[in-house]
Formats: sequence, structure tokens, C-alpha cells
Amino acid sequence: MTVSVNSLSDLVVERVGFGIFVIDRDMNVLMWNRFMQDHSGLPADQVVGKSLYTHFPELPRVWLSRKIESVFQLGTFAFSSWEQRPYLFRFDHDRPITGGVDFMQQDCTFMPLMRDREVVAVCVTISDVTHVSIVQREREEAVAKLQEYADRDGLTGIANRRYFEARLRDEFTRWQRYGGDMSVLLFDLDHFKKINDQFGHGVGDTVLRLMAQRVSAVLRAQDSFGRFGGEEFALLLPCTPLADAMVVADKIRNVIAETPVEVQGTTVQVTASVGGAAARLGTPSYEVLINEADAALYSAKRQGRNRTVALN
Amino acid sequence: MPEPFLNEDQRDALQEVANLAMGQAATRLARLLDSFIELSVPRVKLVAVSEAADALREMTGIDDTVSAVRQGFRSDIKGEALVICRSDGVQQLCSLVNDPYARSSYESVSQKELMFDVANLLTGACVSSILDQLGRTPVFSAPGLLGDAMTLDEVFQPGVLQWEVALLVEVNFALEDQSFRAHLVMLMAEESIRHMNGALDELLSSL
Repeated sequence: MTVSVNSLSDLVVERVGFGIFVIDRDMNVLMWNRFMQDHSGLPADQVVGKSLYTHFPELPRVWLSRKIESVFQLGTFAFSSWEQRPYLFRFDHDRPITGGVDFMQQDCTFMPLMRDREVVAVCVTISDVTHVSIVQREREEAVAKLQEYADRDGLTGIANRRYFEARLRDEFTRWQRYGGDMSVLLFDLDHFKKINDQFGHGVGDTVLRLMAQRVSAVLRAQDSFGRFGGEEFALLLPCTPLADAMVVADKIRNVIAETPVEVQGTTVQVTASVGGAAARLGTPSYEVLINEADAALYSAKRQGRNRTVALN
Repeated sequence: MPEPFLNEDQRDALQEVANLAMGQAATRLARLLDSFIELSVPRVKLVAVSEAADALREMTGIDDTVSAVRQGFRSDIKGEALVICRSDGVQQLCSLVNDPYARSSYESVSQKELMFDVANLLTGACVSSILDQLGRTPVFSAPGLLGDAMTLDEVFQPGVLQWEVALLVEVNFALEDQSFRAHLVMLMAEESIRHMNGALDELLSSL
């Protein structure tokens, strides 16, 4: 049996795994393959001979007409990628359960069909790239998660020192440019080494975690809270004068000291000392600001702990 | 196989082909975009991979970082086309075509989509006009972003490239009364240069 090459092409176009259709300059459909039929629910005999917009009024007309026109005028290809325009047709895809995307994601190619160097029609191909878009979305989510882990302290879940300092640097730059107020608090759990020695490191870790939680709960959304190392924590309070920052400092001291921690059947009394400093005219860098808060913290320790001191 | 090169006749013929093609491309673009785009006289050069970045710097006059969109074209003569402009010029590049939905909140086109559209139009018009003169009908691949703040050195990464000598055709664009310029660079490697030689010889013998 012999099969003509022409009829083979027809069979390929019919069964191939992507959408193929042809339109003329007036947007009338000249050809419509099986993929288009299966996904639109419209067979060729209903679509061919009519304007594409008859059955698909939701297509972006201005955009699509311009694409088609550019192919006719330049005699060259045009493209559309799912990354900029997720789909042209509202087709379903084969991951309705696990996909998490609404419609089939599509890459489209607009190809000139030439006869004697004249464009006689435009062939549009539609590739289903839903799986590519899902893989890409998963990769982006994984990167975002890694990014977040890189910014967090593993034990307490609050910002780590690197991330806190980056925030502080940004805020300080903003303050240098626009002025206003900004304050920094440093606090430290008193005699934390004793807690570790007396009750063990497991208890010590629980205390650190609980204290970070308690303090987080009394902070404002715009404040940044980070673990600076060991039992030392830092707070960045944007747009906050020193007096207001010291109100926050007292809140922190209270929330830590007011209720002893119950852990593994023992009661641990925890207190904290807090030092505060504010950026003011002539503060040359955020490191200096941290140093000043640290000096205030040192002074609070020397004055007997469980207290707050502002650097004047 | 000998080092690919163009003899004087071939070079002149290619320059003439490119000139004619750019005229044709400019006419088509003007009709499509409804504004006149000025195309420079194309420059043709054979470059070794190690000199490619310098050649591009010299041709474009750009030392800063660039945005580059790449696209493949294919016939027996095949290669890649790059549309290059300064990173801070992307908005001006996009203004070559109007946003069809500029006044609509219902539909919108992102800047990246506009940028791909412009690059595709410029590449399509110029590359197919040149190849058309040589009797070829190319197939194009979809445009892709090479980078939006890259140096010209990063465009070519010696050591990973499969070619040693490339034929480089550069043309640049400006909208009427605008100082902004975008560049289109067509790059074809050894095998394509040989096919180009053949096509040019055929053209010359038919005169």
C-alpha cells in the first residue's frame, strides 16, 4: 500500500501533540487541527470559515490582531511566551488535580505561510508548557524558602545577625538621607551562663526560644528583631525617638521578667538588661549606633541588671 | 578546512545585499509601526571569538551594561541575532512600538513582553530581508532575554563557545529626532560563512 506524502502531512498535523491552526488576514480560520478541537470542544467544521473571534470573543483582540498583522507585513515570525502571557486560549491541561494553575500555559508561534514571496496566511502553533511553568514555580518557591532560611536564626526563628545588620544598614542609609528618628535596643538575658550550667543547655535553648517569642509578641510590625549571638538580642525601631524606644525597652524587660519559665518541671526566673541609643546628628555609621547601645547595655549590667539604660 | 573568509568581491556583495535589505526592512517597519525608523548603513566584519566583545564595543560605542535579547534564525545559513541597547534605554527601545493597551486597565502588556516584541520585529525584518536577498527563507526561534544588565564581555563567553570565527553584521536604529540608538547584531559561525560564500558567489555569477 502506498500513502502519498501529502496525506501523511495531513495525518501528522491532525494527530500531533500541539495546537495548529491557520488564519487569514481578516482573522478567518482556514485550518483547525485535532488538538485545537479536543481542547476547545469545537470541531473544525464549526470553526473553519468563521472569524476566530466568533467562537473566542475573550481573545485579546488588539494584541492578537497586531501580532498577525506584523507577520503579514514583515513576512517573519512572531512569538508569545507563557512567561509574559500565560495563555492565549482558556484550555484545560492534564494536571487539573496536582497542577495548581488555572489554564494550560502556552507558548505560541505565529508563522508566515508564503507563496511566491507573499504571505498568504498565518499558521499559529500552541505548545502546552504547563509542566514547565509548574517546575519553574516550584523552583522559585524553593529559592524563596532557602532565602528565608538564610535570613533566620535556626534556634529562635527570628532574624539572624547578618539579616538584622542588613536591615539596620538600609534603615541607617535612609535616616542619613531623610533624617527623622531611629533607635536601636540591645538586650541580654542576665546570668544566662548560670541557667545553662544549672539546668543544662536544653533548658537554656528553651529559655532563649521562649524569650524571643515573648518579645516578638510585644513588638510593632515595623520593628526588626534579631538574635545577635549567644543570649544577646537586638532591635531596630525605625521612626522612633529614644524616649519612645525606652518605653519599648521597659515592655521587653517586663515581658521577660514578669512570668518565670516552666521548663522540664523546673521554674526558671529570667531577667534581662536593656541598653538603648538613637541616631543623632553626627552619628557616622550604624556600627557606632550599635556600639552606643552596647555601652548602655553594659552600664545597665553594672548598675545591677534587670533594668534599662539609655545612652545620653 | 581553510579558515573561512570573504574575498573582496564577496564582501562588497554582502555589503550591497545588506544595504538593500536594510532599505527594505526600514520600509516594512515604517509601514507596520507608522513611524519612520532610521536604519544605519550596516557594518560587516569577520571577528575571532577573542575579539568579538571588543568589536561589538567599538561598533556600538557602549561601555556600560546592556540589555540584550537573543533570537536564533535558521536556514543553511544560520546564526543568532542580538538586539542590544544600554540597560537604561529599554524604555526608549519599547517606545518604538506603542503599547496597544496604554489607556486600558482591562488588558495590559508588560515591559518585558514589549521588549521581546520590539526585538522580534527588528530582528525579523532585518534578518529575513538579508536572507531573502540571498534566496533563503529563515525559520526563527522565540526571543529570549540574554541579560538586562550585562557587559558586552559577558555576551560572549570564550571557552564554552563552539565557534572561533564569526561573521558579524551590525545595524543600528533610531526613531526620528531621537538620540537613542538600539543595535541589531547578526552573528554567523564558520559553517554558515561557507554557505554565505556560496550564496554570494551564486549572486555574483547571476549578475
